[in-house]
Amino acid sequence: MKKERSRKHRALQLARVAVQAAVFVLFLVLLFGTHFSGKDYIGDVGVLFHFDPLLALAAGIAARAVLPAFVLAAITLAATLLLGRVFCGWVCPLGAVHQAFSWLFKKTKWLRPRKVVTGGLFWKYLVLAFVLVGTVFTLNLVGVFDPFSFLYRTIVTSVLPALGQGLALLTGLLYSLHLNGLGDKLAQAVETMTLNGTFAGGFLVGAIFFAAVLLNIVRERFWCRYVCPLGAMLGLASRWNVFKIRVDEDKCVKCNLCTLHCETQAHPWPAEKWKSSECVYCETCAAICPTAAITFPAKAGAEKTPDVDLSRRKLLLTSTAAFFAVPFFRISPASKRAPERLIRPPGALPEPQFLRTCVKCGECMKACPTNALQPALGQAGPEGLWTPVLTPKIGYCEYYCSLCSQVCPTGAIKELTIPEKVNVRIGTAWINKNRCIPYFLGRPCIVCEEHCPTSPKAIKFVMVETKRPDGTIATQKAPVIDLNLCIGCGICENKCPVMDDPAIYVTSVGEQRSETNRLLLPTAADAPPSK
Amino acid sequence: MERRDFLKTAALGGLAAGLGPKILGAASQAPAAPPDLAFALGDSPAAITKAAIDVLGGIGKFVAKGDAVMIKPNIGWDRTPELAACTNPEIVRTLVELCLGAGAKKVTVMDNTTNQAQRCYARSGIAAAAKEAGADEPFVNPRRVKKMAIKGEWLKDWDVIQDFVEVDKVINVPIAKHHSLCRLTLGMKNWLGAIGDPRNQLHQDLDRAMVDLAAFFKPALTLMDAYRILVRNGPQGGRPSDTKLVKTVVAGRDYVAVEAVGASFFDIAPADLVYIKLAAQRGLGRMDWEKLRVEKRTV
Repeated sequence: MKKERSRKHRALQLARVAVQAAVFVLFLVLLFGTHFSGKDYIGDVGVLFHFDPLLALAAGIAARAVLPAFVLAAITLAATLLLGRVFCGWVCPLGAVHQAFSWLFKKTKWLRPRKVVTGGLFWKYLVLAFVLVGTVFTLNLVGVFDPFSFLYRTIVTSVLPALGQGLALLTGLLYSLHLNGLGDKLAQAVETMTLNGTFAGGFLVGAIFFAAVLLNIVRERFWCRYVCPLGAMLGLASRWNVFKIRVDEDKCVKCNLCTLHCETQAHPWPAEKWKSSECVYCETCAAICPTAAITFPAKAGAEKTPDVDLSRRKLLLTSTAAFFAVPFFRISPASKRAPERLIRPPGALPEPQFLRTCVKCGECMKACPTNALQPALGQAGPEGLWTPVLTPKIGYCEYYCSLCSQVCPTGAIKELTIPEKVNVRIGTAWINKNRCIPYFLGRPCIVCEEHCPTSPKAIKFVMVETKRPDGTIATQKAPVIDLNLCIGCGICENKCPVMDDPAIYVTSVGEQRSETNRLLLPTAADAPPSK
Repeated sequence: MERRDFLKTAALGGLAAGLGPKILGAASQAPAAPPDLAFALGDSPAAITKAAIDVLGGIGKFVAKGDAVMIKPNIGWDRTPELAACTNPEIVRTLVELCLGAGAKKVTVMDNTTNQAQRCYARSGIAAAAKEAGADEPFVNPRRVKKMAIKGEWLKDWDVIQDFVEVDKVINVPIAKHHSLCRLTLGMKNWLGAIGDPRNQLHQDLDRAMVDLAAFFKPALTLMDAYRILVRNGPQGGRPSDTKLVKTVVAGRDYVAVEAVGASFFDIAPADLVYIKLAAQRGLGRMDWEKLRVEKRTV
């Protein structure tokens, strides 16, 4: 018998790698392009998220809303129904990362598939069930597991800060080598890219991603096989697709290479065991087959293929667990009263609705020009992990900027025009007179007043007398806040010269998205009560 | 010419100019030296900038062939030109063109902004204007900030952005604005945009800091943008109604005199501004600008 590999499938395999690389590059281009570049409106840089049917379904159910931007996800679903999980094999940028590392670990022989592995595939279906059952009870955890959110969040909050430090070192190196022109160019490029360099918990996000990558040493595309709920969802949709495996038994030498090297444990040989729901059409089996015995012919009215060992019992147990888990994710003081430092970006929906809709992707954190938006750790309760919190000590809300609201893929931050945004109140500034330089030290300052962006300014000054330690009296201009004008942008706190614990600070009270976390009610004189 | 040599020459020139009026008064037929201060009024920011420089004898009096020139506008805020928070971009453009026309080998326009640098550079219109005119418009590079001896009366040393000292000439192009702490922010306050953080701490004695910085940076020329000035809610404004059209630029070598003229647009006596008084007392320039030779030109 002629021993020859299939050139056609080798070509398809290379085409698949090329498509994966292209989508990954597109993902990065859009990500790196998510910053202010001279225009008020940024365009649809979050478009890839809208191809994700899992985000659409989960956020939609949890928020009890139809998310129109996600109409593109229908393309992914339709493609999956027709062609199988080509999205996972050819498109998904996180899949591409895992594939690349799996390949690398095989090349380094850290990963050596020696025996056929079975089982374990059901886990990702349980993750999917857990997430979806949660959303039925308005708990939205999809962003923790969704591949787009996972990858984007990781790059933004851990890879880019590390990259920024690396580039800073490189710039320093260029200067020390007297390559000043190059150093200047690099520094200018870095500043232009707006590489936000600080993220709370960025290390943890990076460590989780690193662990997920390392798991490829245990099994090829570990994440895709066992964890990814989007893969599970697409798996459910791909049982009836038209391309089914065919192994030519006359050519087959039963070497088992195809099944050993199957990227996603779909078990190509024997063909009766092949799982349509697991196959990502990576073409590896067909390309690796020494006798070109494997093909994927189109078949109308395709037959059912073996299921994953997903028992009803496991599913029921998981669903029940998810049901009981919901309240645990809400054990938080945040549910009792509004946390003072939980300042949400302008346009954020009211807190409960915000938590149901946000998918923790980090788009807003990438877009923020001042690095102000930080991933929440505990502030918003367990369910609010990695949702955006404005942290004035790190950055402030730039007055004429509404980028975060424009890039949010789910509308958890409602899209705002610039004229709308400048009127959105996200919190209120307060003065700690015990630390404020004019109030306490009797020396001039009012930097906060200088930076207050509203007109008229929300921070005004009054003359105050301060007793110095020696008993003499100093009279200085000291800041006072007009709560009717303050929008809570936080630039006052950000620029306060009292470095460690700013003497002026913003809390969430007065945020206009909340009907309870209010402060100033109109007085009878302002607006006589009427019905 | 080295910057230092230039400054020596300039100082001598200034001395001569100071003696000027008396000599001129004695012999009125003698060819007139250029005036000390130029006012230019008109509808076009570009035309009045050109006119003011022309009155002073041309940019060649300040920039020599082959000079590396730093033009320091106020790009501090994320505000568009009609809000008068940053220097008028057309004025910056014109100055860049003049400098390059005089044979400057390189012109740089930069500022250490308060709001995000990209936003300030873009929305002030200054980066685009500077670039179109042929200047470099880099952002502040944190690697190019170095602690230097300011040797001021109050400020002994501070981080200085090296781009501002590694040039032959510095031209200060502030915009005249209201400011709550020091009443007005004019040319000397503009130098806070040439130094590193935590510059906000300087507000504890801002008047002295400004004077020390002005003495340190020693601009070859100061051209004050009073085309549209900010009369309230400074130094950012925010509404066009916070501004006032004056349609004037003032230029001169004596930055204290230019500063004093700036105060007059707000009906404030120069001596009422602490930093002008301090600067005059230190002999950095003259605040009695009416006594200098002033020429007005309307275009």
